[in-house]
Parts: sequence; structure tokens; C-alpha cells
Amino acid sequence: MVNFDLLIRGFATVLTGYNIVALVLGSFFGIIIGAIPGLTATMGIALLVPFTFGMNPITGIVMLLGIYTGAIYGGGIASILIKTPGTPAAAATVFDGYPMAQKGMAGKAIGIATVASGIGGTFTAICLTFFAPILALFALRFSAPEYFALAVFGLSVTVTLSGKSPLKGFISGAVGLLIAMIGLDPIGGFPRFTFGLIELTGGFSFVPMLIGLFALSEGFRQVEVILTAPKVSAVLKDILPKLRELKECSVTFVRSAIIGLIVGITPAIGAETACFVGYSEAKRTSKHPELFGTGVIEGVAAPQTAENASTGGDMLPMLTLGLPGDAATAVLMGALTIHNLQPGPLLFRDHSGLVHQIFAGMIVANLIFVILGLTFARFFARVININRQLLVPLIFICCMVGSYAINNALHDLATCVFFGFLGYLMIRYGYPVSPMVLAQILGAMMESNFRRSLAMSRGDPSILVTRPIALIILILAVFTTITAIRRQRKMLRQQVTIAPSPLSKEAKN
Amino acid sequence: MANLSMKKADVLAALIIVPICLYVFYESGKWPLEATIGSPSLIPRGVAACVLFAAGMLLFRALRGRSLPLERRLEGKDLRRIILTALITGGYVFAVERVGFIVTTFVYMFLFIWILGERRWLRLILFSIVVPIAIYSVFYVGLHVPLPRGLLR
Repeated sequence: MVNFDLLIRGFATVLTGYNIVALVLGSFFGIIIGAIPGLTATMGIALLVPFTFGMNPITGIVMLLGIYTGAIYGGGIASILIKTPGTPAAAATVFDGYPMAQKGMAGKAIGIATVASGIGGTFTAICLTFFAPILALFALRFSAPEYFALAVFGLSVTVTLSGKSPLKGFISGAVGLLIAMIGLDPIGGFPRFTFGLIELTGGFSFVPMLIGLFALSEGFRQVEVILTAPKVSAVLKDILPKLRELKECSVTFVRSAIIGLIVGITPAIGAETACFVGYSEAKRTSKHPELFGTGVIEGVAAPQTAENASTGGDMLPMLTLGLPGDAATAVLMGALTIHNLQPGPLLFRDHSGLVHQIFAGMIVANLIFVILGLTFARFFARVININRQLLVPLIFICCMVGSYAINNALHDLATCVFFGFLGYLMIRYGYPVSPMVLAQILGAMMESNFRRSLAMSRGDPSILVTRPIALIILILAVFTTITAIRRQRKMLRQQVTIAPSPLSKEAKN
Repeated sequence: MANLSMKKADVLAALIIVPICLYVFYESGKWPLEATIGSPSLIPRGVAACVLFAAGMLLFRALRGRSLPLERRLEGKDLRRIILTALITGGYVFAVERVGFIVTTFVYMFLFIWILGERRWLRLILFSIVVPIAIYSVFYVGLHVPLPRGLLR
């Protein structure tokens, strides 16, 4: 159960000194990242991770939480103003946000989006605070076979649910597993796949790889489509929502917050899915569904609430089980390990105070971006106009310097650049990068727990399927994989039926 | 490599993956088995076998003309921009410790901004000077992280 004494102390820590400054700066930077189309929350966190090395763990972590929540919210600003989602998570906000802006209600749309995101995020952060300790307590009973099953489940879900093609998702994840095996054998301690290079004895450094795959690869994509920044001409007025408007959306807030939380908890799907589910449910249950798409405030409130509500859901399995909910939480997990904190049930037992500070930080982060969003809405709108020809080189330099600065090692910089270009090619040719990153975390977990399980059973592999929790998790993994493959086949068949010509034309090339 | 059609890219990916998997089988055959708990080669070989199978499927689909469509092909200026960016970024990795952070970053920023199409010289030079100094200050002064001094040492 949640320890209220520790939680109050957590709030006191977060709200004092450098911590609150770091949180506000993180949130501010996060909103900027979110508002600029093409830059994602994951990229923002990956970019800023190196800047947190010199900080206290909690200062660094709250800063990253600020970026995470701020960027997820900030994506809605561009959706409303220029009809282009700032982040993929804000795609559904376009449907009613942009029509509102066209009607001269851009300020009102941004105000509603800000409050909705704040409500969704705060709700989910409170749920995280209450449910995470319970789940962690339960997870303390887990042993090697259960952790092996969890890793298999996490990998199978991630691989099958990310990207357009489960086959390419599988290849990305499996190659990620092979990359994760580079370095010392986790049990025997002998070098594997190092080609005699001393730099590879510890495997590829995780954070430079993350920065490369998530931030630098996106940088390359920006180079590919470099355009003159869109000009935001909308005049923002009536930003602060009226009480009557908030009352109108109250049911939408509650429904979307619950949807966001549930979607977030499901591994591998996060804010991107939550916003669409939130929007479609709001439309389906509305008394006037025909008005959706013409610029109604519920059409903005629903996706924004759901997308920010998914953040706490994504954090839940990451903190309690060491199983990241999405790419952004995988990067956050990497950041925690840099500060010598290993997410999982033992984190709750050994660093209970810090865990409660994280809960407090998550709640405060959601309130901070509401204040910043309502106060500086006009500034964030102008950020969209930023010159990409100057911004993209700056992103590249920050990625490379950040990677180098971790250990002052040139091979870390080379790792970042290598995985940056690899990530760019992967995205270009339809291989999702998230499975490759998650495989770095889950691969080590899977392999070491598999071998520990065999050691526990003196070599009998049936231990993996004779323990009830492990068996249930493995069945879930198989079920999810089969469902995803069937859904993918159905989708492909529909695609071929609807548009046979582009498919066949491309295939001939 | 960035302007291949999806079919060619799928075939190339399969051709790169296959030798990697074969190498996994080869190297894992040399590992000490008795001294360790469980079989150290079981998971690597299992994963390699799965990747081999997936690569086979990818190749089969590509050759049967069932590759997914490409979002957009890169041609002309767009392709040149990507190639030049990759080249100067590789050059940066090569030069930063030898020449030093400030000088290398100045040259890199200048070339990069120019490649992206900025031709206003004042902006080009000013930004190329300010960014390395600002980043050096943040890391060296603010975070106490030394960056390579190279020739300035």
C-alpha cells in the first residue's frame, strides 16, 4: 500500500530547491519538443538524459518526468494550430482542434486541451501512486521462471503490436536480442561476440544506443523532409476555459482518463493508441456524434485526456516489473539505471522513499504543464515557427555530445551515430525501432532468468510451464502474438482489396 | 542505401541477417559449456534460428512481390542531403578528439546548416560560433563534464 508519510515527504522534496526548478525547466522544454512537429517525447527524454548525469537522482528523474508529460501534452498545440500533430500521440486532436482554430477559437481549443491533459495526467499519476506499490508487493513473489515469462510476454507484445508488419517488428526485436548478447555472458562471465574489441566487452552502451535509435534517427528523418517551418497566424484569445465548458466535458474527462490508463498499462501501446480510442469513444457515446470533426470541445478534450492519462499507465509496469510500457518509458528506464536504480519490485523495497518522490514528481509534473501551458500558450504557439535549418543541426550536436559525455568515450559517440543511421534506415523501411530497444532491456532479463530457472530445476525446462503465474503469462504471450498476426493479415488483405495498384507497383520495383 | 525500393531493401536486409546468424552458430560452438549453469548457447542459437526463419520469410515475400509499399522514394536533392549529412556526421566522429570539440563543432555546424539550405552568411556564422561555445559552457562549467580539447590542449 501507498505510504502517505513518505508521499508527503516526497512532495516536500519535489517542491523544494533544485527539484522544482528542474521540473519546471523539464516541463517547459518538453512542451516545446512536443509542439514542434517531428520531435517526439521519446526523443526529448533521450536528448536530455545526458544532462541529468551530474544531478541528484531525484532531480534528474523529475526533470525527465517533466519532459515526458509536457511533450505528450505539447503535441496537441501543433495539432490545433497547423493541422499537423506535434507528436504521434496528438494525432486525434487534429480532428476537432484544427476546425476550432479555423473558426477563430484556437485559444479556447488550446485551453481545453491543456486542462484535459492535466486532468488525465493527474488522474493517472494518482492511480500509479496507489496501484504501483500493490503490484510491486505481488511481484516480490516472482522468481526466475516468472521473470522469464514476463520478458517473453513483453517482447512478444512489443514485437507484434509495433509497426505495420509483425514480421519486421519480430526481426527488429530478435536482432535487438542478438545485439544485447554482445559482451560478457551473464552467468559464465566469458566474452561473447566481441570480435576481440575491449570496447565491446560490456556490450554496446545503452544510453548512446537509445539516443541514436530514438533521437538521431529522427534527426535524419527531419533532414530528409526539411521544410520551411509552417507559419502560425492564429490569434490566441480566451485561453482560460470557462467553468461551463469544463462541466460540459466532465463525463468525457472521466471516460477518457480511464481509457488512457488501461491503454497505457497494456505493454507496447501508449499515448498514440489512447488518443484515438478516447476520441472514438467520445464520439460513439455523444448525443451529437455528427458534430465531431466540425470543431467541438469534447473532440479536443477526449484525445488530450486519454493521451496524458496513458503516461501513468505506461509507468506502472516499468516501475513495478521493469517492463517498459512504451518507447518513452524504455528511455526513462535507461535513465533510472544510469542513476543506479533498477526498476522492479526491489526498487519499492530498497528505495521506497525515492519511489514516493517519483510518484509526487509525476503528480506535480502534470500540474506544472497546465500552469505553463495556460500562461505561455502564445509563446509555445510561436515555437512552431522555429527555423528547422538551425534546429536540426542543434539536435544532432546535442545527441552526439550527450553520448560522448556519458563516459568521455569516442566509442559511445560512434555507437550513437551508428545506431542513429541504422534507426533511420529501419524507420524508412518499415522496421519499428522500439522492439530493438526493448530487447536490450528484456533480452538480458529473459536470458539470465531462463538459465537461473534451469539451474533451479537442475536442467528440467518444465519449470517454465509448471508454475501457474509463469504459465498464465506465457499463454497470454502466445495469445497476443496469434491475435496480432491474424489482425495484421486481415489488415493486409483489406489493403490489397482497397488499393491493389500501389502495392503491386511498389512490389515490382 | 537510403534510396532503395522496398523490395530491394528487404532482399538486402535478409542477405545481411543470414551471415550474422550463421556467425552466431559458429561462435557459440566455441563457448565453454561445462563450467556454466544452463546451456549458454541455447538462447543465442534459438534467437539466431528464429531470425534466420524470419529473414527467409522476408526474402520469400520480397521475391514474390509482397513487400509493403515504401512511404516515399528519396531522389535528387533529398537524397544528396541525407548522404552529405551522414558523411559530415561520420567525419565529426573521426575528428572531434583529434581536432577538439569547439573547432570541429564549428565546422560541422557551418557545413550542416549550409547543407540544409541556409544561405544567410551572418546567421550561418553566428549560429556556428554560438552553439559550440554554449554547449561547451553547459557541459564544462555547468555539469563538470570535460569535452575534447584536441589541438587546443
